[in-house]
Amino acid sequence: MAAHTSKAFLSLGQINGPGLGLYSSLSRVTYATAPSTNTFTGNKGFPDKGKRGPFVRKPRRDAGEPRTEKMAVDQDWTAVYPAAASFRADSVPLPVRMGYPPEGGVHPAKKGNLELIKIPNFLHLTPAAIKKHCEALKPFCTEWPSALDTDAKCDEHFPIKMESTDYVSAGMSVRNPSARIVNLKVKLSSLNLDDHARKKMLKLVGKRYCKATGILTITADSCPFRQQNTDYAMYLLTVLYHESWKTEPWEATKTTADVEEYSWENSPSQNNILDTLVRMRVAGEEEVEGVREELLGRREVQEYKDSVTRLKNEGESESTMLQYREAVKKVFNL
Amino acid sequence: MAAPVALGRDICSLARIFVGISSHLPLTPSTSFHTGVVFSSTPSSITVTDEPDTLFQKVSVLVKGHDRAVLNSYEFFATMAAKELGITLDKVFEPPKDIERLTLLKSIHIYKKHRVQYEMRTHYRCIELSHVTGSTAQVYLEYIQRNLTEGVAMEVTKTAMEKVPDHILESMWKDQPTDDKPSQ
Repeated sequence: MAAHTSKAFLSLGQINGPGLGLYSSLSRVTYATAPSTNTFTGNKGFPDKGKRGPFVRKPRRDAGEPRTEKMAVDQDWTAVYPAAASFRADSVPLPVRMGYPPEGGVHPAKKGNLELIKIPNFLHLTPAAIKKHCEALKPFCTEWPSALDTDAKCDEHFPIKMESTDYVSAGMSVRNPSARIVNLKVKLSSLNLDDHARKKMLKLVGKRYCKATGILTITADSCPFRQQNTDYAMYLLTVLYHESWKTEPWEATKTTADVEEYSWENSPSQNNILDTLVRMRVAGEEEVEGVREELLGRREVQEYKDSVTRLKNEGESESTMLQYREAVKKVFNL
Repeated sequence: MAAPVALGRDICSLARIFVGISSHLPLTPSTSFHTGVVFSSTPSSITVTDEPDTLFQKVSVLVKGHDRAVLNSYEFFATMAAKELGITLDKVFEPPKDIERLTLLKSIHIYKKHRVQYEMRTHYRCIELSHVTGSTAQVYLEYIQRNLTEGVAMEVTKTAMEKVPDHILESMWKDQPTDDKPSQ
């Protein structure tokens, strides 16, 4: 009966000790009914002794049985630890041991164990508690649109990605200045650009474009607020886009040194190879107009063209040099 | 929740439901259960607006702490919460730890040959979620952050998806073919 009533008391937030006033902490539970017999705390100064000093401490009450003795196996644990709290040995019915064992001994027990109190515990976040919390939070969540199940579809419909970071840490201030940084990532293929616009955009943007992935990254961190930085990044993208569509008059002065990719047509390499072949052909024959075009159409010359283009664009490597060697051998029938 | 969407451009035209948490979430969401029946019968008011929800292609939560066991427990909590709320977990992994070491003089005066060494270990845990809506991300992150353990820090990197704005769809110079503005 006593155990039952005490359980009923425990399920409420506060316990009114009968006739003894309110006690807010759960661990200092007072039972009017059950005095403890096993813990002998030793009263400070028997009040019955004749000698009364200037101050007499009130007799210390017995601590009583720990709550763990009275806990049922199927109790509601979320009621025992509803929020984050430090470890209370008398409220946790587990035989936990922690700490460095003395020589020839075992790890210290949980009663009065400072190591257990120091370390953060997750007793308030048991699976049952998490389920309860999520049940309450479910109505506030929305579902992801089912049509955007793959990344490819997401990229197709929403090509612009805005990346930002939030920081949570304990310290003097909640703010973190790095939280204002915003990265805007776009795949250039998803923007409406023609050939000239694309080349101009690449020249304007420089290192912010990654050739391997085809993604343009604009990092905005000059403003103090994140919203300002996102607006600035979008503004930069808009300006880049419209400027790259424009053709300025001075762009006509573009030289071969400015071109992005090597093109073989009308290059010194083409002239050289054609001259060499024409001279090789017949020493005495007069030059016919169509010889050069005919030579251009030959397979060996095309292979030579491919190898030279590849060499110039990709740089020197084993495969490119090998390809060039084979092409030259074929052209000159070596 | 979200209205059923059709493929193609219709996605942008359909209004997505934006769920606002109008009532203040209690300090710890669990206190309501402790007192029993009373709170569960009166739900907090949920406002539904027509403002389109932000879509996050990826939300990456990186937790840093000095104690690996604490991060283990926190990871269990975060992954379970994500599963309960129906969020897809992309991957959960542990980046290698960082150790910062200091070598200081042991004594306050002279004794240069006697030093003492300290080290600070930072363990990491990364939880990546994919395909989360703005409301869900808000709810989940607030839940996670309110239950963040003492001594543990968190960095959340969100990648929001956006459509190409209308002013970048086409070149604005198309209407003025002869007008060649020189750059200033």
